Amino acid sequence: METLLAFLTVFTHPELLLLVGVGTFAGVYVGAIPGLSVTMAVSILISFTFSWDVHPAIALMIGIYMGGVYGGSRTAILLNIPGAPSAIATALDGYPMAQRGEAGTAIGVTTVMSFFGGFIGIAVLAVAAPFVSDFALKFQPRDYMLLAVLGILLVGSLSTGSLLKGIFAGALGIAIGAVGRDPLTFTERFTFDLKLMEGGISFIAVMIGMFGVSEALMQLHHVNKAAVRQKISRIVPSFSTIRKYLPLSLQTSSIGVIIGALPGTGGDIAALMAYDHAKRVTKSPEVPFGKGAMEGLVAPETANNAAVGGAFIPMMTLGIPGDAVTAIMIGALFIHGLNPGPMLMIDQPDMFWFIVGALVMANFFMLLFGLTGIKLFTRIVEMPRAVLIPLIMLLSIVGAYAVNNSISDVYWMLGFGVFGYFMRHYGYPLGPVILGVILSRLLDDNWRRAIISEREDLGRFFAGLFSSPLSTILFLSVVLIFVSQTPLWTRAKARLARKAA
Amino acid sequence: MTTPVPEHHDGTSDATPGGYENDRRPGELGFALFMLAASLGLLWSAYDISGFEALSAPGAIPMATTLAMVITALIIALRTARLPLIRGEGFVKDILPGTVVVMTLFLIAYALLLRPLGFLPTSALFLVAAVKLLSGRGWAFTLTVSLGSLVAIWLIFRIVFSVLMPAGIVPEAEFIQMFRNLLGGKA
Repeated sequence: METLLAFLTVFTHPELLLLVGVGTFAGVYVGAIPGLSVTMAVSILISFTFSWDVHPAIALMIGIYMGGVYGGSRTAILLNIPGAPSAIATALDGYPMAQRGEAGTAIGVTTVMSFFGGFIGIAVLAVAAPFVSDFALKFQPRDYMLLAVLGILLVGSLSTGSLLKGIFAGALGIAIGAVGRDPLTFTERFTFDLKLMEGGISFIAVMIGMFGVSEALMQLHHVNKAAVRQKISRIVPSFSTIRKYLPLSLQTSSIGVIIGALPGTGGDIAALMAYDHAKRVTKSPEVPFGKGAMEGLVAPETANNAAVGGAFIPMMTLGIPGDAVTAIMIGALFIHGLNPGPMLMIDQPDMFWFIVGALVMANFFMLLFGLTGIKLFTRIVEMPRAVLIPLIMLLSIVGAYAVNNSISDVYWMLGFGVFGYFMRHYGYPLGPVILGVILSRLLDDNWRRAIISEREDLGRFFAGLFSSPLSTILFLSVVLIFVSQTPLWTRAKARLARKAA
Repeated sequence: MTTPVPEHHDGTSDATPGGYENDRRPGELGFALFMLAASLGLLWSAYDISGFEALSAPGAIPMATTLAMVITALIIALRTARLPLIRGEGFVKDILPGTVVVMTLFLIAYALLLRPLGFLPTSALFLVAAVKLLSGRGWAFTLTVSLGSLVAIWLIFRIVFSVLMPAGIVPEAEFIQMFRNLLGGKA
């Protein structure tokens, strides 16, 4: 009964309902406007909702998250510019459809499928998270440590980029997170004897710099690109269309939930993987992939919204973020004095059910805003970047300043902004940095706890790794990711392929 | 995994980071070497925390992570050095164009002026200068758009998010009080 009440919190409090609605509405546009991303919006919002209660703050962020993951598809279809990273795969077939004059159908199918995927993600979250959190109580410190390492490695290994750069970025994040006085022994770490560094680097400054300023600087390259107007006709898709793609959408939703639930990897990777899956299983598409195949829309759009629910699973049960946005939300919960992890689920289950309720509501709002308001939408998206970029920069500065009223946070933010700008240019992923910063404390604490309980004996530590199945699996996964990047793996794969032939 | 058409290698997403697999971008080697040097510096600093005192010492994880940074940075630098420089890209044209430099300077100037001048004047200066520079349109457009959005932002911050920014030379609090009095409320 209490669960139901907590779940219904959003529905019974008009102001929370309104905030989820406003958030989703804003999210659809944030996602749609190229240069504004959900990660950016949520990281800037943390500092603005700092003085709020935790419920309204989370309600707003959840709305933005859900809406934003969907919103990126709009510009991907209409302009061939993915408005958000999660919509990169959507542009591959969405834009060709729009060129054929089927923009309305494409948007309609995308919206309904996003809703469907989102719903599956939330359902899995609601069912699985309580079990995972029960299970999580059995996690030992070393398991947390391994999971954190695994999350940081996964981003690098599942993306198309280089794992080495991913590891570098993750390690850098952990180092950034360690700056300041060590919470256990009060020893100074990486402070270079500067008073300024003793309190550590505000992770909000790092986030806003990396996702706000660096993205804005990047967008300066495209400042003169004009938007193209498209005519949009019928939007709401027919029931038979939906039914036809139901089997595929179930499969791709599952991919989305799993990728979302893996620590560190989110909607962008889920969408690309689902697109690949659709390409593999669709033997004879009506229209070839890349030329405007409906399957090429259904797959990424169900997957990226399903990943939203999935990403909350490790976040709520283990305190390990499922993707960059949930990493930022963990930061938000910290600020509000909550500590995500198995104990949160046990001590304050209402928080979990509130989040599930807010996600459900956001999903409905997304469907509503997705199928209406197209005219207004095309206007807003045409907002010139020459105006948009300075505004993002202004918001980033205000956001970095507002948390601690400290100008040094603004300098950190600008520094990380410029640094992130170069990282983007040279193929270093930014997600692992944020993940590293957020997980640094967890990794450090759990490593020290684990090794102290083994009496500082590495041999005993490794023996312990193989004494529990969970630790063994996690450890082997970490090793496997490393091995998969060495020439050894490529050779073994080639040999296997030859044998098979 | 399917790689989307790489029109711009700007690393908008971690799924498709910027850069090229088989080519080196202008300045990439310099960045890689800089990362290597920085990692070595950090490793030294991490060693300084507690040396090889104990596996559970405060310096253990910092040393392990900075060591990982040094190793990966070294391999990245070696691999980058071996790649051929990409054709048709220039450092100034594709990596660090003038507008990026100018906007970064604007941002630094903003941070410097924020405390002494206050939020409203600094932001007005920043927005007008940036919009004028980027849009290249007339003063009427620039002033209307930048000042209009500044008013909107200020209203949202002060009222919805109650964020307090440095007031500087503008008597913001008096303004708000005056409005409240005008509206008849004595709040």
